[in-house]
Amino acid sequence: MILKAVRWLREVGVLGMNCRNTEYIMRFNPRSFFPLVDDKLKTKQLAKAHQIPTPPLYHVIEHHGDIGDLKELVSDHSEFVIKPARGAGGSGIILVSEHSAEGFTKQNGEVILLKDLTYHISDILSGIYSLEGLEDRAFIEALVHPDTAFDAITYLGVPDIRIIAYRGVPVMGMVRLPTRASDGKANLHRGAIGVGIDMGEGTTLKGVHHSRIVTHHPDTNKPVTGIQVPHWENMLLIAARTGEMTGLDYLGVDLVIDRERGPLLLELNARPGLQIQIANQAGLLRRFQLIDNAPPEIFSTPEIRVAWALETFSARAAN
Amino acid sequence: MKRPATLLAMALLLLSFALIGYRVIWLQYPIFPAAPQKVWRLSMDGHVSGGENETTVMVGLPFTHKGQIVAEERIRSGTLAFNLLREGPNQVGVWSGVISPRGEGIGYSATVQVRPQQPTKTKTPILEPYPLNIQEEDQALAKRLVRRWDLLPPSDRLRRIAAALRGIWGSSPPEDQDLKNWSAFQEKHIHLDAVLLLLRAASLPARVVEGLQLAETVKGSTLTWVEVWTGQEWDTLQPDKGEIHQKPVPFLPLTTNGLSATRVINGELSDVRWTLSREIINQWRMQFDRIMRSNRFLDRWSLFRLPPEFQKTFRILILVPIGALMISLLRDIIGLPTFGVFLPLLMALAFRNTGLAYGLGIFWGVVLFGYLVRRQIDKLRLLLVPRLSVILTLVILCIIFFALLGNKFGLREFMAVGLLPFVILTMTIERFFVIVEEAGAREALWTAVGSAGVAVITYKIYQLEPLQLTFFVYPELLFAIAALQVLLGRYTGYRLLELFRFRGFWRSS
Repeated sequence: MILKAVRWLREVGVLGMNCRNTEYIMRFNPRSFFPLVDDKLKTKQLAKAHQIPTPPLYHVIEHHGDIGDLKELVSDHSEFVIKPARGAGGSGIILVSEHSAEGFTKQNGEVILLKDLTYHISDILSGIYSLEGLEDRAFIEALVHPDTAFDAITYLGVPDIRIIAYRGVPVMGMVRLPTRASDGKANLHRGAIGVGIDMGEGTTLKGVHHSRIVTHHPDTNKPVTGIQVPHWENMLLIAARTGEMTGLDYLGVDLVIDRERGPLLLELNARPGLQIQIANQAGLLRRFQLIDNAPPEIFSTPEIRVAWALETFSARAAN
Repeated sequence: MKRPATLLAMALLLLSFALIGYRVIWLQYPIFPAAPQKVWRLSMDGHVSGGENETTVMVGLPFTHKGQIVAEERIRSGTLAFNLLREGPNQVGVWSGVISPRGEGIGYSATVQVRPQQPTKTKTPILEPYPLNIQEEDQALAKRLVRRWDLLPPSDRLRRIAAALRGIWGSSPPEDQDLKNWSAFQEKHIHLDAVLLLLRAASLPARVVEGLQLAETVKGSTLTWVEVWTGQEWDTLQPDKGEIHQKPVPFLPLTTNGLSATRVINGELSDVRWTLSREIINQWRMQFDRIMRSNRFLDRWSLFRLPPEFQKTFRILILVPIGALMISLLRDIIGLPTFGVFLPLLMALAFRNTGLAYGLGIFWGVVLFGYLVRRQIDKLRLLLVPRLSVILTLVILCIIFFALLGNKFGLREFMAVGLLPFVILTMTIERFFVIVEEAGAREALWTAVGSAGVAVITYKIYQLEPLQLTFFVYPELLFAIAALQVLLGRYTGYRLLELFRFRGFWRSS
């Protein structure tokens, strides 16, 4: 039973945690470049320098003393997002959709008081959400208005797109859909759904919810399959450029599609999760090996890499 | 990619085994120091009385040679001086001094391991002349009695003589006159002289040995028997019964050259009590004295040379890497989550004081209580470090409360939490809270179960005394553990729980 499962996973080329850590993260992601992706503000600056669009940045809060000015800082913006720069897994992010008499209305309709918000920012600065508990920075950026493509299968929150890039080649993608359980967050371990994407066509496949395969969104009961992802090739191109941008050869690229601005880079992850394989019913290891065995000329430009990936990893090619 | 790690692991394994091999082969360490073995516990007690002059008491004592190991020797000498002397083939303990009118108690005890499978190699002894108190006519008589067996091999000659001592002279007995004279000789002399005379007449080198029978006994005196050289080794003949003992011989020799086992000059030794008892100890104890006295490099740099009060700590410390190996196994092969990497190791250490049931109970009691309080504190909006301090204070209060409760109900385990790592408890409460908030109660409980599981396994490992001893004797085993850790570090296969996680894959086909 166990041996059979192992043999089958190996045949499909599923990447396991141990293999990911030793053979890909440690080998392709030099530790010295981690700060570039662990700090969302640094990623933002880097993306700007490489003409990759990100959500507009409003303010950065670095010191506890600055929190008092919060009310003035956000007075110009009726809606905004507060994020810890070094937060992991979507923790510490608050989406505010409007000011109200009592305070701020969160996107899920809850009202949050100004003092709660300042307490939250103080927590962020203390490093409670940061990866190693280090002191952190908070930043305020524009709220994204997600493209309508996923409206039917989104419960609150903002769906985002995760693309795995390996040696500058986009490998696999999925749409992450918030659910009631995930509190509007698009992180799989919080209960969001991951829906696989046919690399060639940019259409959605089946979804994974808590490691189980699903075909419908649990809250809206609408099918998740067969939806055309807008700006697909454009997003693959962004993912293909992140490797050169950061010096990291194995990345999870998180993008969001804004109704007006198009694809925006949210963050990069040097330790991307493995659930994406279930959503796509395909193994990362197999695709990595195809890339390793590909002729060197396909690596010359991001455009060629994307074209090669579209061809090689499409559902028709069945890899 | 894998090769350098494998090479390193091999090198570490090799280093470990080379050092152990050196100790086993050259320094004669036991391969399994914790393996039990049967030994004899020997003790001698006596009371010495004397006059105004110096009194000397000499007692034959066992010593280590190929056939036996003597360890844990203890001497009781009171006001007397004690010396160990070699006297021919014997080791003699000498107590000397002026005895007070009330007399003086002396004593000796040791652990003796008899190793019958390793015979002592001895040179062929020379045939000694007849004893002085034997007349020439008796010598001639004895020669006539044994002449018929002259052509037999020595061991057969011995067997015939042993039979003769029981009165059996075989198919062609000697002349009646000789037998009559022999009876007369036996009446005039002590039995032992008769035995020695016959053996000498048959040209068999013999020696008188005094010692003890190897049986659980308390004896007031020693036993005398005769050892006879039969060409290759000394055979044991019990003279009064005319019995030859098969190997292994059930005797413990004290003196082997005819000298009495206890001799006193200028005084008297009374109330002598020889005690032998069976004991099961680990092999290590037999080697301990020898290694403590040894000047070899690895012996001098043994952990046993540490002051005893520090040894206890190191006995546990040396097992902690095995615990770490366990955690690596559980996390990377099985895939169980734990709170922090080494928290379970510290929990297991704390369990050593509290016991498993109480330890787990107190630990999770405090964590659960702390978690409930942490939920309430969350509303107070405290800064991170002060908030952690509050939790820490709460944890200490909990521990104090448990101690007072334990005192009230006489539960020592509740008071023994002193070493319970309170900082770890504090961080666990915080981690528990964060995991419940972020990943749900299920994930948090899983992690709790994982941590407790590893802690229990690690605790069980810490408590394995044979393992403690083996690692303490051979600290180089840690190189082997490190090798396993390196190998585990290069394990790139699936984790067991990943098979479950990716079940969507292999079920769908």
